[in-house]
This record gives sequence, structure tokens and C-alpha cells, in this order.
Amino acid sequence: MPAVAKADFLTGIVLIFLSIFILFESWRMPRLEHLKVHPLSVPGLVPAFLGTVIFIFAVILVVRSIRAAGHHVGVSRESLRHVLSQPGNQRLLLTAIISIGYAGFLIGSIPYWLATGLFVFVFVAVFEWRRGLTRREYVRLGLAAGILAVVTSAVVTWAFQAVFLVTLP
Amino acid sequence: MVALLQNLNQFLTAIAGFLTPVALFHVFWSTLLGIVIGALPGLTATMGVALVTTLTYKLPPDLAILILICVYNGAIYGGSRSAILLNIPGTPANAATTLDGNPLARAGLAGKAMGIATSGSVLGSLIGMFFLATVAPVLGSYALKFQSFEFFWLAIFGIVISGHLTALADPMKGWMAGFLGLLVAMVGQEGIHAYERFSYGTTELLGGFALIPAMVGAFGFAEVLTVMRDPAAEVVQEARDSIIPKLGEVFRYWRTIIRSGLIGTIIGIIPGVGEDIAAWVSYAAARRKSPEREKFGKGSVEGLMAAETGNNACVPGAIIPALTLAIPGSAPAAVLLAAMFIHGVRPGPMIMIESPAFVYQVVAMVFFSTLGMLIFGLTLTKPLLWVLAVPRTRLMPVVFVLCAIGSYAITQRTFDIWVMIGFGIFGFVLREMKYPMAPLVLGIILGDILDKNLRRGLVLSDGDLTPFFTRPICLVLWLVTLSSILVTIEPVRLALRRGVQAILPSRFRAGE
Repeated sequence: MPAVAKADFLTGIVLIFLSIFILFESWRMPRLEHLKVHPLSVPGLVPAFLGTVIFIFAVILVVRSIRAAGHHVGVSRESLRHVLSQPGNQRLLLTAIISIGYAGFLIGSIPYWLATGLFVFVFVAVFEWRRGLTRREYVRLGLAAGILAVVTSAVVTWAFQAVFLVTLP
Repeated sequence: MVALLQNLNQFLTAIAGFLTPVALFHVFWSTLLGIVIGALPGLTATMGVALVTTLTYKLPPDLAILILICVYNGAIYGGSRSAILLNIPGTPANAATTLDGNPLARAGLAGKAMGIATSGSVLGSLIGMFFLATVAPVLGSYALKFQSFEFFWLAIFGIVISGHLTALADPMKGWMAGFLGLLVAMVGQEGIHAYERFSYGTTELLGGFALIPAMVGAFGFAEVLTVMRDPAAEVVQEARDSIIPKLGEVFRYWRTIIRSGLIGTIIGIIPGVGEDIAAWVSYAAARRKSPEREKFGKGSVEGLMAAETGNNACVPGAIIPALTLAIPGSAPAAVLLAAMFIHGVRPGPMIMIESPAFVYQVVAMVFFSTLGMLIFGLTLTKPLLWVLAVPRTRLMPVVFVLCAIGSYAITQRTFDIWVMIGFGIFGFVLREMKYPMAPLVLGIILGDILDKNLRRGLVLSDGDLTPFFTRPICLVLWLVTLSSILVTIEPVRLALRRGVQAILPSRFRAGE
């Protein structure tokens, strides 16, 4: 529960700032008087309404989390190290880095088929690799990752380029 | 009676229209793909529909929607396989299935459990289909009476009810997710004066965030992250007994089937609630009414039947409001709705006037997907076990490749890949903090409806709020919305309970 309360506290603070920003931006939006539009049809009306509702929810969330001692956030190097030492979190971080690296940076920088093949190969190799693999197991892992990479890259590139007529990035 | 015969005639015409080799081929592969997507833990129906939408751009609208409905219905059914064999729901809609499906498999009755799940899903889908064919036209004509005031309240009602029912432990988080979704929809050119909101001169944001890349991110990339973070599933139960269910055993539970089918359809019609809640409510209702309630949770055939009938009945149910009001009943239906718009179909109150035949085509599509489910459900046992044995380390990179290229393919902008990544991280974080995703999706869809109709309503009434509260449909909608919020407040709930106890005759009072 304290972990959830801490997360709620931080979320609430972020949302308070977000809603104040939305309200400010809604206020700044044009009233279009020169077009003689009805004052209640102005573009900022609904964002301001939503900003107000989110502000109210965010304040309730913060108050609720403070009652559950969620405001003692206390991020230490020790706790961060503990979080990062969990195998699940390590896998999560690796997945995020490899995936964002591929989709956000590799695609568009090198030919699509190469980026896709590289991504699939690296993904399989990284997650299936473990200490103490024998030479034979290395070869088997490399072959499996390589075949999957080639097949995925070839099929997806062909399907999107030739069948769906997409100009690949 | 005449109307019913006309409905039947339109339905049969639609069926005949799809009896072509091309359409049947699409039914074949897309239902199979849906079942596989559903069976694989981590791949949900929403993700499946979103990903497959990116593969159907070049197809004619009727075939594209046929494929998506087959994937949707197939995935909700396919999730029962992993629920039974792995004790992991393939999609959130199959969580209730694990309670009795897996104990049956552990008792050496995996084949029987799968057969019951298939029967339940097929019958649930047929019940939902019946209501889709009969309720959608009525609701469509009724929806013509809706004006801006009603549509405004319908949007708020959808967010509040969906937020409440998908986050029963903490409804406020459900509402917050919904309002954040509405806020996301505010980005881009607004629909009345064409003013660009929150785009800051970025041409890519002029049209707002594209729904499909956002959904692919929130349901695809976020799922990839979750699956890779969680421990791998290992235990696979084998089916040694027959997968063909005995008819007597199925129809022994006819009351449960009809009740669960009705519950599933009704929950499907409620905006943004969806198949998981339909399964849980059907399961709870079956348990309450069953003479064998002590067996529930230990391998009850009735419990399994209720959960699987409820979730598949919800599929056609969720399509009803999507078609007639352009308000989706579930997260996959939201993506289906977006796909309909992409393909030039205009769902909404005018559908029964502009294209009534399309409604019956959708009914026929549900029929074909159900037929596909039945055939594959009774024949595919071993191949699905092999699929379940594919390690996540080989499946997830392929899924992510499709997430990236699928997001890009719509408008061929790399910006949409970033939208997918952004919504993936956003969705993952929200889910980790127990915010439900269905209200968020509903919010993104309903944002435009809320925006236009609140402002239009205010202009029509010249700033007078009375019509928003006094028109009959508005009155019902805001009263239900307000009640839904009030019952979550502890002092109000206690006061209500005391009030009810005071009114009820003494024999009905709790504890007496």
C-alpha cells in the first residue's frame, strides 16, 4: 500500500501541475470576438472544464495519499539499486531500451529490412543468452535468432511493401 | 412480426453476400489469427484488432470490418485456451475462466473444459448476435432523438460508468483515466472553429493523436513490456480427453447460458465496460443462482460456461452502441469503431437511415466469426498447444516489429511510431498504478463528441443549463452518473444502506 500511496502522491502532484497548465492554456486560447462567435462556443471552454475536473481529482488523490503517508517519497540510492537488481525490472529496462532504440532511432536511419533483422536478432540473443552456454548452445541460439530475424524481416518488408503498398521508412 | 421478418430477410441477404470464396477465406484466417492472438498470454483482443486494422487499409470496407470482427470475437474466445491450460488468462476477458477451467484441466479434463468453453463462447456469441440484430435498429431509431444535450451527457455517463466498473477497488482512478483520455482528444484542430489546440505549430499534431498508433502503443508496446517483465509461464496441461462436448451436458445449463448471454450483452451495451467485467458479472450471477455453488472455483462446468458465455456475448453487445451511437461498448470495439471511420463507414444515429444494410452485414460478420470459432474450437487442440509453447523471447520482438510498422503504415509518418512509443510507456505506467485502460480509450474516442456537443448545446440554449438537466433522456443520464459517483463516497453509501434498511420490511433486513 505505501508504494501505491507514494506513486499516487507523485501522480497527483504531476496532474495538479498539468491541470494548472491546461487551465492557463485554455484561458490563453482566442475568444474569436472578431468573428462574432457565441462566447460559449470558444475553443478553450472544454479543455478548461476538463482541466478543472482533473485538478479536483488530483487534489483528492494527493490528500488521500498524504493520509496514507505517501508523501514520504524517500528515493535513496539503495532503494534504486534494489529496484534495478530485480530480474523482472532488468528485463523491463532492457526491453524498453532495445525496442525504443529500434523503433525510435534505427528505423529511418538504416534500411528498414536491416533495422528489423538486427532488432529481432539482438532481442532474441540478449534474452536467451545465459552464463555458461556451451559452444553448441551458442551456435543453436545464434541460428535460432538469425533465422527468426531473417524470416521476420523478409516477410514484414515484403508484406508491407508489396501487398500493402507502403513506402517503408 | 413483419419487422422481425424484414430483419431476418436483411440478415439472410447479408449472409448470402459473404458466401464468396474470398470472404470465406478471410473469415478462415482472421478467426484463426484471433484465436491464436487471444490464446497467447500478453496479446489482447484490443491489440489484435488494432494491429490487424493496419493490415486492412487496402481492402474494401465490408471485408476489412469482417476480418476485424473475426479477430475480435476469435481473440475473446482464444483466451480461454491459456486460461484453461496455463492458468493464465489469454486476454483480461478470460480471467474468470481460470477459476474453473484450470482446475478441470488439472483433474485431467482439459478436453472437456475446452469443449465447454467453446460451447459457451459460441452460444454467448449467438445470443449477443440476436440482440445486435434486434436491438441495434431500435436503438438506432431512438438515437435520432438525441441532440447535443443528450450526447454531452452520454459522453460523461460513458466515462463515469466505465471508470466505475473497470476500477471497482478505486473508481476515482477509472474516472481519472477517462478524463485524461478526453484531454488527449483535445489535441489538434477542434471541430467548430478549426482552432489548433495544444499543437504549438507542429503540423503532425494538427489532426490530433491518431487513434490506431495510440492504441497499438497502449495495448501493444505496453503488453510487450509487461510480458517481458513478468515471470515466464511454464506449466502446460495436455488434453487427453475428448474436446467434443456432450450436448446434454451443455444444455443442462440452459438457464445459465441464457442469463450469462443476457448479462454479457447488456454489459457490452454499457459504454467502455467490456468483456472482462461481463465474464465476472456472469460468473458471479451463475454462482449466486447455482444449486452447485460449492463447486465454483474447484472445477465447476457451470462456472466455466457462465464466464465464457458472458464474455463472448459482450462482443456483439459492445458493437451495438458503437454502430448506433458511435460510442464503443469496450476497448476492442473502440478500435473497431476507429477502423470503421478509416474505411469510410459512418457509425452513429444516422446509420439506420444512411446504410441500414451495413448493420445486418455486421450481424452476418458476427455469425461467420462464431462459425469459425466453433470449427476451430472443436478441431484445433494440438496446434494451439504448440503456439502456447512459443517462448516470449521469440514472440515479443515479432509483435513489436508489427507495432512499429503498423503505426507507421497508416499515414507513413515516423511521428506515429513515436506516438506508439509514447502511449506504450504512458499505458504501461498507468496500468502499473492500477489505472484501467478502457476508460482512457473511451475518453480518446468520446473527446470530440463531448467537445462539440457541450459547446453546441450551450449555444442552442444561449447559455441556459436547464435543458442539460430537464430533458427526459438527460435527466436519466445525469441521475445515473451522479448516483454512480455518490455511491463510492463512504458516508453516502452508509446513509443509503440505513435508508434502505429502514424502508424494507423486517424480514428482508440484513442479519435478521
